[in-house]
Amino acid sequence: MVYTTRQIGAKNTLDYRVFIEQDGKPVSPFHDIPLYADEENQILNMVVEIPRWTNAKLEITKEEALNPIIQDTKKGKLRFVRNCFPHHGYIHNYGAFPQTWEDPNEAHPETKAVGDNDPVDVLEIGETIAYTGQVKQVKVLGVMALLDEGETDWKVIAIDINDPLAPKLNDIEDVEKYFPGLLRATNEWFRIYKIPDGKPENQFAFSGEAKNRKYAMDIIKETHESWKKLISGNVPDTKGIDLVNTTLSNTASFSATAAAAVPAAAPLADAPIDKSIDKWFFISGSA
Amino acid sequence: MIRNTALRRLIQSKDILAGKKAFSSVTLGTKYTADFRQYLKLPNGEIGSYFHDIPIELNETDCTVQMVTEVSRWSNGKFEISKELDFNPIVQDVKNENVRFVHNIFPYHGYIHNYGALPQTWENPTKFSAIPGTETLKGDNDPLDCCEIGSRIQNIGDISTVKVLGSLGLIDDGELDWKVIVINVKDPMAQKLNDFKDVDKNFPGLLEATREWFRAYKVPAGKPENSFAFDGHYKNAEETIQIIKECHKEWESLISGNLHKLHPDIPVIKRAGLGVTLESENKTPNEIPNYVYKWHYINK
Repeated sequence: MVYTTRQIGAKNTLDYRVFIEQDGKPVSPFHDIPLYADEENQILNMVVEIPRWTNAKLEITKEEALNPIIQDTKKGKLRFVRNCFPHHGYIHNYGAFPQTWEDPNEAHPETKAVGDNDPVDVLEIGETIAYTGQVKQVKVLGVMALLDEGETDWKVIAIDINDPLAPKLNDIEDVEKYFPGLLRATNEWFRIYKIPDGKPENQFAFSGEAKNRKYAMDIIKETHESWKKLISGNVPDTKGIDLVNTTLSNTASFSATAAAAVPAAAPLADAPIDKSIDKWFFISGSA
Repeated sequence: MIRNTALRRLIQSKDILAGKKAFSSVTLGTKYTADFRQYLKLPNGEIGSYFHDIPIELNETDCTVQMVTEVSRWSNGKFEISKELDFNPIVQDVKNENVRFVHNIFPYHGYIHNYGALPQTWENPTKFSAIPGTETLKGDNDPLDCCEIGSRIQNIGDISTVKVLGSLGLIDDGELDWKVIVINVKDPMAQKLNDFKDVDKNFPGLLEATREWFRAYKVPAGKPENSFAFDGHYKNAEETIQIIKECHKEWESLISGNLHKLHPDIPVIKRAGLGVTLESENKTPNEIPNYVYKWHYINK
């Protein structure tokens, strides 16, 4: 399957949209891209939203048809994550698993918290910087359970199958072996990243411990089942998620015309980012 | 002729000090290739030297000096003031015919400061250091390096007034290579910072990270860790001012031209006053190679 991107507008503006195309035709990265790239070998598709070492909070939008990637806003302003020393921007290639949903109608038995209404987040740790809208094939290594403002927000740790280290990484303990300090940094990053915005420190379930690959694959399967219920209309509340898709012909939200309604590519050069985003925040006692 | 160039230089610096005109730059070649050169352009339009023609403007009362930025925070290209080329343009360091990038040492991305040099200073490699505690070491033949810790990212060739806060005595391949910690006087935090101890208070972890960064940054290239004079303890602002004064004095001996006969490898001293002009070429930068984005994990 060949996935490409269709950009509209300039990065760092409200107009910016990245649609995903399959063989040149727009699809939804939330609903159309299959979760499994190779089910037999348990290789998953991941949609990259945010490249490592950048600050713009880009995400698959739930509210628009075919769920393009846009920059999150708060009170009408573009959202950027702040740099918390010693980190610069996001410290992973950050993205989501297609065809997964953290159901906000149900509390998870172990975290005791409801889902955050998003696809499952992925932290890709390979050496290459990814780009927004890239569809990567990844191997799952583990998962951490962030409790973000009272909701379960799983962070799956994965690596691009084409990374030179991928053959050596098979489970969570291999991450610590080949990337010493990365899990600790990941834990710290998610705990403190909202502090510069005046929010409290986030908490992790399981005392911040990362669960292994098997646990992660189970979470992914559960959230994939939740998504199946969502797309089939079997949930009490779809929470405003746009379910339009262009490939799932047995769903009520299938649309043969949605792809044609997507504007033609009209990429513009990146808009400048406000200089204040360059600031490094020193949060005492975080390290 | 000599009197004439000296006179021109004097008029130049009077204008600069009066704040009438600003320095700018002229760029030749393609960024991220060995032919890239960024020259200092003086207010009168002629080419000068980043090493020799920017006044250090050492103010002992305010503890301030001028700084030239060579590398922006969170970037990897190892740009530096050339010692070999006339007028000392900023170039990218070349090693084995390849332009050099520093590796990303986990958890850091590129350089962790706006990195640069103090003009009109020189760490003299031809004699032992006169600074107490470093008398067994010779200088690394460069201007003094500095690490600017303010919140804004500075660009290559930026000239700014900075406050001196302390310094770290790096020993690189047996040579003394001071890293002076500074902050741009325009930074909102500058007034609160007067010494390296204030840096620890307001930027917790930064000085330790700075030391670990300089200790480890050449390890991915197969080199040993660097070591430090004074066990890696920082010198305070007052001691650092003395170091800068000493290195300014050494620069004066460099610029006298009396050392070049015996020491042909010391920096060239051709500078402003010759009426040389150049036009920018405005070439599109090269792509940064992919390997530069790798994160290197150093086992401690």
